Amino acid sequence: MKIKVNEVELDVTPGTSVIDAVFAAGHDVPYFCSQEYMSPIGACRMCLAKIGAPRKDRATNDWILDEETGEPKIFWFPNPMATCTTQVMEGMVVDTISKDVKKAQNAMVEFTLVNHPLDCPTCDKGGACELQDRAYEYGSGESRFVFDKRHQEKHHALSELITLDRERCIHCKRCVRYFEEVPGDEVLDFIERGGHTYIGTLEDGLPSPFTGNITDICPVGALLDTTSRFRGRNWEYHHTDTTSLDDPSGAALRIDTRTGRIERIKAGLNDDVNKTWIDDGTRFGHEYADAEDRITRPMVRRDGTLVETTWADAAREIAERIAGMDGTRIGIALRGDATLEEGVAAKALADHLGSGRLDTAPRPAASVLPDGAAATLRDVATSDALFVVGDPTEEAGIVDLRIKDALKGVEPAPLFPHGPAIADLRLKERMPRKREILTICAPYRTDLMKHAGQAHVPPATSMVDLLHALAERASATVDGGTPSGAWDDALGMTAAEADALITRMRSSTRGVMIWSAFVSNDPRADEAARTFAKSVGAKTLILGPMANTAGLERISVLPSHDRYDYASMFTPETKALFLASLDPAVDPKVADRLRELDLLVVHAAFPTATSALADVVLPAVTGYEKDGTTLNVEGRLLPVRAAPVEAGTATDFTGVVKQLGEAFGTRLEGRSVKSARRVLRKLLDVDAAELPTTGQPLPPVRGKASGARAVREYARATGDALIVPSMVRVEHLDRNPHLRAERGDAALRAHPATLHAHGLTSGDVVTLPIGGIPRQLRVTASEGVPEGLWLAPTLPEQPVGLYDANLAAMVRERSATAEVA
Amino acid sequence: MSILNVAKGMGVTLSHLFKKPVTVQYPEEKAQIQARFRGRHHLLRHPDTGLEKCIGCSLCAAACPAYAIYVEAAENDPDDPTSAGERYASIYEINMLRCIFCGFCEEACPTGAVVLGHEFELADFRYDHFVYGKEDMLVGVKGSKWQRREAERKGGEVELGFQAGPRPELEGVDY
Repeated sequence: MKIKVNEVELDVTPGTSVIDAVFAAGHDVPYFCSQEYMSPIGACRMCLAKIGAPRKDRATNDWILDEETGEPKIFWFPNPMATCTTQVMEGMVVDTISKDVKKAQNAMVEFTLVNHPLDCPTCDKGGACELQDRAYEYGSGESRFVFDKRHQEKHHALSELITLDRERCIHCKRCVRYFEEVPGDEVLDFIERGGHTYIGTLEDGLPSPFTGNITDICPVGALLDTTSRFRGRNWEYHHTDTTSLDDPSGAALRIDTRTGRIERIKAGLNDDVNKTWIDDGTRFGHEYADAEDRITRPMVRRDGTLVETTWADAAREIAERIAGMDGTRIGIALRGDATLEEGVAAKALADHLGSGRLDTAPRPAASVLPDGAAATLRDVATSDALFVVGDPTEEAGIVDLRIKDALKGVEPAPLFPHGPAIADLRLKERMPRKREILTICAPYRTDLMKHAGQAHVPPATSMVDLLHALAERASATVDGGTPSGAWDDALGMTAAEADALITRMRSSTRGVMIWSAFVSNDPRADEAARTFAKSVGAKTLILGPMANTAGLERISVLPSHDRYDYASMFTPETKALFLASLDPAVDPKVADRLRELDLLVVHAAFPTATSALADVVLPAVTGYEKDGTTLNVEGRLLPVRAAPVEAGTATDFTGVVKQLGEAFGTRLEGRSVKSARRVLRKLLDVDAAELPTTGQPLPPVRGKASGARAVREYARATGDALIVPSMVRVEHLDRNPHLRAERGDAALRAHPATLHAHGLTSGDVVTLPIGGIPRQLRVTASEGVPEGLWLAPTLPEQPVGLYDANLAAMVRERSATAEVA
Repeated sequence: MSILNVAKGMGVTLSHLFKKPVTVQYPEEKAQIQARFRGRHHLLRHPDTGLEKCIGCSLCAAACPAYAIYVEAAENDPDDPTSAGERYASIYEINMLRCIFCGFCEEACPTGAVVLGHEFELADFRYDHFVYGKEDMLVGVKGSKWQRREAERKGGEVELGFQAGPRPELEGVDY
């Protein structure tokens, strides 16, 4: 479709909005209310332009021609038009630079500023404010408004994490539309009318796990991140564009630091992964990195106490103490959010020591690499049949949002030269959702279930059997056969429902099956899920428990033999242990075992129960301070870049290997990020140093996933406590005060009837041994939990799955009523 | 060069011998400072409420060509505010060794909180003594860090080596 923007002729696809055509032509119009990935509504009236188009004669159906030139005559619209809600037409002419248009835009800036306070010097948005920029570019430079401006609440806490300044709001409706359109949680709306309109919520706070994004999209300083309130001005921040190591979705982040502190995290743009959204756990869960008690120098135990020393001294101590030790009795364990470079370093260290006892934790019992057709997040967003097993909202928030994209049924728009479409006219306010394409199966009611056409809550103990039965039924009907054998409705799904699911998945062309730790932690369930996906012809997306679990498996940071896995490190076979960012001593039995070790080296950023037992403690960096590479849930290699955070001499695991190599008198591979990348280039045929911020998909492994498949019985088919995934990382909650204030303590969720039977009330704080690990949790009543089941959030040391809760040994620390009193 | 020119020169010298000298016997005698002179900064308060004028906006730091200013802001306690409005400077530091006394900070300040005054006797002994915080610059504080230390040691008042006329923007500053 040919159109003309200020004498620039261009060819655009039908359906494009005029605003995108103007930007594609290299011209500019100001706008506030339009936002990439959200419906255009023309609320701010800022993107005005003069638009004209040729007209056809009704009688002849020919273009009406200009008598003088013989060209089709342009009929101008009588008034300037909002370009964001206008669609291009054949032969359209757009004018954004004439005097009339400038006058209209100038008048709109003036009108918007009538009620906007001029408190830019104290506003956290100042310097990065769309209104400020547009006022400079399109405003007249001086105010004719001499009256008193509208006065409203200046700092209204919408939640513990978000502060609303009602005077600054310009009623663009981005935040209101965001909640309805993106996470589908309608928690904000306009209240009152005209100049009195304000943003508000009837509920207590903002009950959604994706609230922080509204602080990014607010074009003015009305919605602000409370964790960074007044911490710095926008031009003072050092920006680091990196990838989240918080969960396996691989969301793009922008970390803003100042004087060695992380002040805030904003979402980065990655059209293929997170678009411009991130979850609240990722956005607000950064305060721990600046906690007071960080370990900043190596420590060595002398006469029973840990004393600070130098890296060289600590490394020498380690080298001396493991000299002559049988290599096979030395264990090395990394946490699953270590970068690939750290994985290479750990492998090099294990090879040098002659140890096959190398593992990552938490690592599911089954592989997290897909062995058939792997789904990308774009496949999820464009899918027409989704089967989800588990709770993606808590495990990888971005997957949850991409599932909600699929429900809208709008294919992602191709990128323009200026980025994603500013106004995608196919998106509408309050669009109908195709709920019927989504089936969810989880052992408790998950947040995503309110958007699902079919939600099944089978008993936790029969999840594995249900998947098996489904896989069997799907395999039996591959060629139109009839299922043999009886179906047990007690599994949590009726035969009709199962058949409907199988038919729907099979008849779809873009079916995707998503499963997570509930499945991966049980090899039998994993096998069933893979069989089911294959027999209905669905692509698969497997959510790993940690950011880089899949990547570390891909480069085989795995034990050389199943009996050398993570669990074996806490048997008497092991004499020396290197633990990176793990805290297994939360289990008292493991702690006893750690005390018997000849050497325990802990690489940690904070003091933990395990570092208290260590012989050598080495300072570690957090995921925000690493340079490296990670592999996300869809098999995309993404760069992790270090933000400048003050952490003394802390390094990542490559730094540990460098120092140890020097003490051993050798140069180990992976002694630096650069050296590890040389190894990665050989392993993956990718130059990790050259990765763009948006990453690069890694071709999937052909055939069966490689690597040892340790069959570990983390998840058993019985038990009354279910460890569930958590968006908020529980191990960091103590050091994340704002997030803790909003999301509460780690919760022990149970059905009100279950609580009543045990004499507990919501709000009590209890210590409950779950699977041998005493967990301090706050009791929370939840109707969504089946009776008799206890739900607690996962720790890196306690992967998702069923455990025994020792209810007899439960201790009530504080009761809710006493606290109120 | 002729002898006449030498005599002319000597004549100028001779004529000055009988004029009143312009030399100021500083520090025995106080120097008279011009109103336009720019010395060390003062952080002003609103004279009526006593609240600090500084709102911690960091615009002075942004304008500073020598990167001499560091500001950290915080939220006012509504019951006991430090400044007017929501935001105040919890840390306000100027490194007097870096400062080139150009006055850009004064020009950038939206509230007229930071004003360059007349004090120039800033010599000191250690690097960190040149970093002036709020406690060294808020209106009412007289003298450089060293002058105040000396005064405390001797148990007397801070003696400034100059006199200056009033300047309207230096509201509340008394030399």
